[in-house]
Amino acid sequence: MRAYTASEEEALRARNLIKDWAGEGFLTDAQYQRLEQETVCDLRRTNIFLRLVLFLFTLIIVGAAVALFFNVILTHPAIQTTGIFLMIFAAVSYASAEFAVARARLYRYGIEEALAACSVAFLCVGMQLVFFEGRPYSPTPHEMEFLVPAAGAIASLWIWRRFGLFYAFLAAMIFVLWLPGHWTSSHAAQHLIVAALYAAGLSAVAAVRAGHRFTYLDETYSIAEALLWLGIYLAINLQPSLDLLRQWLGGTPPTTEFSRPLYWTTWVLIWCLPPAVLARGLRGKDRFVIAVGAIAAVLTLITNKPYLGWPRHSWDPMLLGALMIGVGLVIRRWLADGPGGIRHGFTTHRLSGKDKSWMSTGAAALGLVASESITPPQTSSPEFRFGGGDSGGGGASSDF
Amino acid sequence: MTILTRLEQWKERGIVSSEQHAQLAGLSRGEPFSLFLELNVLLYAGVLAFVAGLGWTITTWSHQLGDVLVLTILSLMLAACFWYCFSRAPAWSAEETRSPSLVFDYVLYLGSLTWSVELAYIENRFHVLSGQWDFYLLATAGLFFFLAYRFDNRFVLSLALSSLAGWFGLTISHWPSHQDAAYRQYAILYSLIVGVAGVILERRGLKPHFLGTYLNIAANVLFWAVLSGVFKSQGYGLWLLALLAACGASLAWGLARRQFSFVAYAAVYGYIGVSSILVRDMHSETAILSYFVVTGIAMVVMLVLIARRFGRES
Repeated sequence: MRAYTASEEEALRARNLIKDWAGEGFLTDAQYQRLEQETVCDLRRTNIFLRLVLFLFTLIIVGAAVALFFNVILTHPAIQTTGIFLMIFAAVSYASAEFAVARARLYRYGIEEALAACSVAFLCVGMQLVFFEGRPYSPTPHEMEFLVPAAGAIASLWIWRRFGLFYAFLAAMIFVLWLPGHWTSSHAAQHLIVAALYAAGLSAVAAVRAGHRFTYLDETYSIAEALLWLGIYLAINLQPSLDLLRQWLGGTPPTTEFSRPLYWTTWVLIWCLPPAVLARGLRGKDRFVIAVGAIAAVLTLITNKPYLGWPRHSWDPMLLGALMIGVGLVIRRWLADGPGGIRHGFTTHRLSGKDKSWMSTGAAALGLVASESITPPQTSSPEFRFGGGDSGGGGASSDF
Repeated sequence: MTILTRLEQWKERGIVSSEQHAQLAGLSRGEPFSLFLELNVLLYAGVLAFVAGLGWTITTWSHQLGDVLVLTILSLMLAACFWYCFSRAPAWSAEETRSPSLVFDYVLYLGSLTWSVELAYIENRFHVLSGQWDFYLLATAGLFFFLAYRFDNRFVLSLALSSLAGWFGLTISHWPSHQDAAYRQYAILYSLIVGVAGVILERRGLKPHFLGTYLNIAANVLFWAVLSGVFKSQGYGLWLLALLAACGASLAWGLARRQFSFVAYAAVYGYIGVSSILVRDMHSETAILSYFVVTGIAMVVMLVLIARRFGRES
């Protein structure tokens, strides 16, 4: 089912690991050279920057080529004809992605990824035009229109499975958000349906994952599981402040129509879910699931007051920050006091060069973002007041 | 064949020792499992949330709390942070220095942010600098540069660079409303100063690992400034030449140093700039679409050749 063989992907994983180990000094240079020869693989890879740029330019080519086709060859076509040709282009894009992998041996190279992404987009737009006469989404959609996001979800899942692209799984989850709107107008039911679909997906992923604990597939399933946990959490947290995120993802609009039992059940659940996810992540030593558990915990703390109808206070972020710092310090101290700085198999020591690289990238990126908040105040303004305090430049120029 | 099987084979063939095998097999199984990255993110987010709340609280309650109490609290926090850092820092070295502890960098970051909050409060309440924020930003940038180099901290270096950008009057959010020549010139001057300073400091061996931060910020500011000139309806010729020169330099640097973010900058910013000039006089949709197909293919071919030649792996 996968476009690459298990031996190829295991070889790539081994290459990544030995490179990391050599960078951390766990292997000598001579050993690294030797082991690199042992893990030779004919798949063609590139670095993240070229991958992103190749993805972008492939999207430009495909988009412009399709538009050119309609502009030159098929001028003023009927809507259904346009849809049929878009579905043909979806097939061509997908075939091109397969060809790029089979013949050019591309692996996470940007080109085949963009082609696969285009195939899903063309399929969904084409289906919409062919079967529903180009009707835009509306509050009262055609009853069978759910087939479009369903097809998008299935196609995205196929691409995730076939090419191992984690964002295809995320795309499938976003398509699922559009499904319940075609089945019911009740926002409460829509939340529950989405949560149930994600929970079903989670059960499937967890069942399949068990047999791949130490194989190359473990990371793929780990990301999928983490995304599903996050999806379930966002679906059951009914706090309106999260509606912006849900709407941005194309989900249900904000509402206050929830029944009291449902509302308070979800309040209990948003407190139960983060520790459960964190516990599962820590037990399985799963970085992505741990991250989602921590994110969910922070979101619960942020949304708890509005959930209860309590007013927010200006010092709430301070307390949250102090709590996060405190938790970080306690964990660090507790782990550091263990024999060799290790307790229950956990340590605060850096064991991978990737961590350092993430920190460096983060610092540089934050530098770019930080310049956003370096806004010299308009000293001529008579209404200049003291307030704010941004992070960039330490909020040096922000007003209070 | 999983990595554990490979390690077993490598041990049997004597490529890795038994000790290495035990260590590497453990790492492959997540034993031990490092929480280094997670704790760093937690502390960073915690410091940011804390300072955001501090600013919000001072905004809301400064009149009730009074200047003395606000300044006392901020000064005590500042003194505690800097006392912690100066008392625990290892001896200064021009080379990369590891933090004495996981929390050290974030105490310094908290101190830097608190300094900014306190200085802004003083200036706004007492007008010490009589509204001369330029000096304030320059002094803050200077302090942050000192702290970044003394304690080898990239987060504070980023604050220093963005404070310096503030002194030059640069802010991304104001860019669309400041498309004037002066704004562009300041941006170019800033990026040149930052870029050249970064290279000089690296050549002198002063924290050479900071160079990437300098150059990434300088390159992005430079490309934005030059692109804004290229987008002008008239008199864009020189800006186009400047863009081509910047792309060439970025490409050459990226290939020479194997830093492919600079290759990506050259490709994307260059393509946007050149395309904006070539497409602006085209009125036929067919011509425009053909342009994107042909040039897109050309860019992909060029990038694939670069990737094959230089950038096989990240």
